[in-house]
Amino acid sequence: MSETLPAPLVLVADDDPDILDLVRYRLERSGYEVATATDGVEAVRLAGELTPALAVLDVMMPSLDGLEATRRLRNDPATAEIPVILLTAKAQDADVQEGFLAGADDYIRKPFSPRELSARVQAVLGRR
Amino acid sequence: MLEALGIGALVLAVLSVLFLVALVLRRTSLARAERRRNELEARLRPLALALVDGDEVEERELSAEERAILAEAIGRLSRSVSGEARERIGEYFAGTEAYTAEVGALRDHRAWRRATAAYRLGDMGCPEAVPAILRRLDDRDPDARAAAARSLGRLAAPEAAEPLVHTLVSGTVPRAIAFRALLDIGPGTLPVLRTLVHDPDQDVRASAIELLGWLGDASDDSAVIEGVGDPAAEVRARAAGALGRLASADGADVLTRALDDRIYFVRLHAARALGQVGEHAAIPALVRQAREDRFEAARAAAEALARIDPDALLAAADEPGAGPHLHEAADLLRV
Repeated sequence: MSETLPAPLVLVADDDPDILDLVRYRLERSGYEVATATDGVEAVRLAGELTPALAVLDVMMPSLDGLEATRRLRNDPATAEIPVILLTAKAQDADVQEGFLAGADDYIRKPFSPRELSARVQAVLGRR
Repeated sequence: MLEALGIGALVLAVLSVLFLVALVLRRTSLARAERRRNELEARLRPLALALVDGDEVEERELSAEERAILAEAIGRLSRSVSGEARERIGEYFAGTEAYTAEVGALRDHRAWRRATAAYRLGDMGCPEAVPAILRRLDDRDPDARAAAARSLGRLAAPEAAEPLVHTLVSGTVPRAIAFRALLDIGPGTLPVLRTLVHDPDQDVRASAIELLGWLGDASDDSAVIEGVGDPAAEVRARAAGALGRLASADGADVLTRALDDRIYFVRLHAARALGQVGEHAAIPALVRQAREDRFEAARAAAEALARIDPDALLAAADEPGAGPHLHEAADLLRV
């Protein structure tokens, strides 16, 4: 009897409900389970509780931005290994560098292609 | 007399009651409409997401109200997506009743309706709407012009590049909106910008050069370097800024010479750009500027030194007569 592996859990955090829906829809269609948060504090809390396979974080969120959320994930041994993809409207190279310095594994600029996001999630998970 | 006053008071009381009843009914009706709309939107949202995502969806007949709400939901989603998802949105709307209505509304006599139409057409993502939206850049209403500029950016219409640069210069559209629209169009604007850097109008040259700094590539270095020698100070300053953003090593010499420009804001931008380029040969000139120049330019030179060579900055700050800007930058560096 063959056992199917559980779908990898992806945590998505964004304060824009349209983006949350778009990302959740695409990732669920790609075979992932998705948990959502609407701010950075909730994202960090959920990451600690659920230990997702990957987190997609918006950079500009209320309470705690995606960069600081990434740093907190990296500084906590329980969440330090969770890959992070940052999703942001900040498009300058310096912003991208800041994201990588914070510990992000990849960076996607808004507006974004949902299928490209899904492909990147797959690529980052594949590298782990 | 008393009787007349009594009747008047009674009439007023009746009118007040009628007015209150009308208000309550109106409020109830609006709340019901809003609730119905939210329910419909929640029901149609999966369909909107599936259409944007490119999934096969079951064809079913929608009422006019449902079509309008679906169009609005898809239009809103289109603000967040790019690539094939956005193309699909354009294909979805092409030739639909909603699209035709908005194109028609671009000529509405009400300014707010023209502005709304220009805005919605940007969300609909149909490139065939570009010529009609372009005409709204000359609308007499500022909101309609701004909405048109924003939508031309969303539609990434290269033919809008030149008119948008002119709105940027004339100020008929807020600078942030016109600039953002040009950035949204992206490299499609480059052929026009490369021509406009030679425009007789110095404001057009300045804007074109600034945009080349954001959108251009290494092949644009020479045009931007030429801009640092422009007779107009505003053009020289923007060209210096653009060279910094392009991180053009070829522009380092001309930027170093621009530290001696007679206009302080050109010197300021040249110093910042040298910091971005990381030009070590400019360190002595930057130290001098940080010590001797007026406030903004001196501070920019000290900050550039911190970026290029922190040790050189600390050494310069320890020299006698280093001045407040070198000290401040050195303190910040130590922090």
